[in-house]
Amino acid sequence: MSEDFESQLRAALRPVAPSDDFTQDLIARMTAAQGPQSAQRALNRQRRGASAGWFAAAAAASLLIAVGVQQHLRQQHDRAQGLEARRQVIEALRVTSQKLDLAYQAIKSQSSSLDDEQGV
Amino acid sequence: MDTLTLNEAAAGDSDAQLAKARLGERAALAALVRAHQRSVYSLALRMLGTRDQAEDLTQDVFMQLSANLKSIESSSHLLFWLRRVTTNRAIDQLRRRSRLEMTPWDDDAPLFSTEDGGDPLLQKHLRALLRDLTAPARAVLLLRYQEDLDPVEIAAALDMPLNTVKSHLKRSLDTIRQNTPGARPVTQEDEST
Repeated sequence: MSEDFESQLRAALRPVAPSDDFTQDLIARMTAAQGPQSAQRALNRQRRGASAGWFAAAAAASLLIAVGVQQHLRQQHDRAQGLEARRQVIEALRVTSQKLDLAYQAIKSQSSSLDDEQGV
Repeated sequence: MDTLTLNEAAAGDSDAQLAKARLGERAALAALVRAHQRSVYSLALRMLGTRDQAEDLTQDVFMQLSANLKSIESSSHLLFWLRRVTTNRAIDQLRRRSRLEMTPWDDDAPLFSTEDGGDPLLQKHLRALLRDLTAPARAVLLLRYQEDLDPVEIAAALDMPLNTVKSHLKRSLDTIRQNTPGARPVTQEDEST
């Protein structure tokens, strides 16, 4: 009898469905509520993608600028080295020329004194 | 394991559908509503007593679910969540309701509904007796006999001590039996089960 009573209670409390109109309306509301969230998620994904693109472009540009600057500095360095080498060569030539002048003067004064002694 | 049981397969399908619903797929959301609306609506109707209030609560619960789908981990968690939120919100509404406020009670099933071969008049009478129970006692009885949960599951769903659940069940069944013609009073043998 107790089992019968409980089975009657279970049967009395069997789940019932709401009206079809209510179900359709509920589904429409839930979909509408989910819609903006899904759209927002898609927009966020798009923004994240765009941000990643910008980041990659910025990184590539930075790399190019760095390489360009490095080449420019190297060229400047090479040019400065070249100028320095040229200055050193000119200086060496000037010193050599001075020495040669001195030697020439010495030889010349020696030969004129010899000529005087011989009565030439 | 080579083959899945029907329950495992159903749970797998439900979990897959839940994952699609989380992504906002309309078909998956619709399937989720159709799978669980009877349970939620019936709990709401039998807790609150009128179709209008039951529909409002059902809608609120599903809209809350829609906003919290990310936190739902599995189909069993979903079922637990729906029962818990529905019963707790219904209990809150009943507590806020003025004691003097008389709400007409809608019966939810037609008298000629005898799919189980039971007595439709007796079943209508049993449903009517629900309104005499306190809100927590009504929730316990519905989770036990409508949702077929055991006392431990009811205690978890309502965040209620197990002994309180058992005591609500016993007192509610006593009350219903006492007010049901032909129902046998509870014996010690019944209590032990």
